[in-house]
Amino acid sequence: MSSVRFARAAFRARPAALRVPLQRRGYAEAVNDKIKLSLALPHQTIFKSTGVVQVNIPAESGEMGVLANHVPSIEQLKPGLVEIVEEGGATQKFFLSGGFAVVQPDSQLSINAVEGFPLEDFSAEAVRGQIAEAQKIAGGSGSEQDIAEAKIELEVLESLQAVLK
Amino acid sequence: MAFAWKAAGLTYNRYLAVAARAVRRSLKEGPRVAAERRGQMDLRFAKWENGKQGEPQSLAQANASAIAAQAESK
Repeated sequence: MSSVRFARAAFRARPAALRVPLQRRGYAEAVNDKIKLSLALPHQTIFKSTGVVQVNIPAESGEMGVLANHVPSIEQLKPGLVEIVEEGGATQKFFLSGGFAVVQPDSQLSINAVEGFPLEDFSAEAVRGQIAEAQKIAGGSGSEQDIAEAKIELEVLESLQAVLK
Repeated sequence: MAFAWKAAGLTYNRYLAVAARAVRRSLKEGPRVAAERRGQMDLRFAKWENGKQGEPQSLAQANASAIAAQAESK
């Protein structure tokens, strides 16, 4: 009789002992986690819930790197370079024209932009030509709206020129 | 955050369109031709009054003048 009770107590004790190591999370485990990246344009899906190690995004509030288990947030993006670090250290670089990045609580990152292309699709010559043109309009005597649009273009083009070097 | 384009009456939508246009124009010849088709918009509208159709107008032009008028009135 007493041996049965003892066995029962042992049976009950074991699951609790097993649970303890699972609750402990070491630093190494956290780093191994991946973030699920979705990078979508209105006309194309570049990444669809793909596991990657880190994503660097140009937020309006500053450049930031997003790892797994990042705090949930919504960031407005500047026109700029998005770097995607894949497992093994390979990086992919896309230039986005501006949009939003949403970090969800379950290690998901969704980036939405209007236009986005890999860096090798850009022509440094076309960028130079446009900068000269936009500077002319920005410093000219056009309407307030034309000048504002030229300044937006300059922001995009200067950011593009900086990453193409 | 204060943006210069906002002071000129531009909307965020317009800001994105201008930024996307600059990105498309910066592409190499091949991808640019395919991409620039996406930036084209030719929408027209007409106002109907008393059962009669008014003058058809380009939406882009009407938007631009509305933005200018709004910035003026501020």
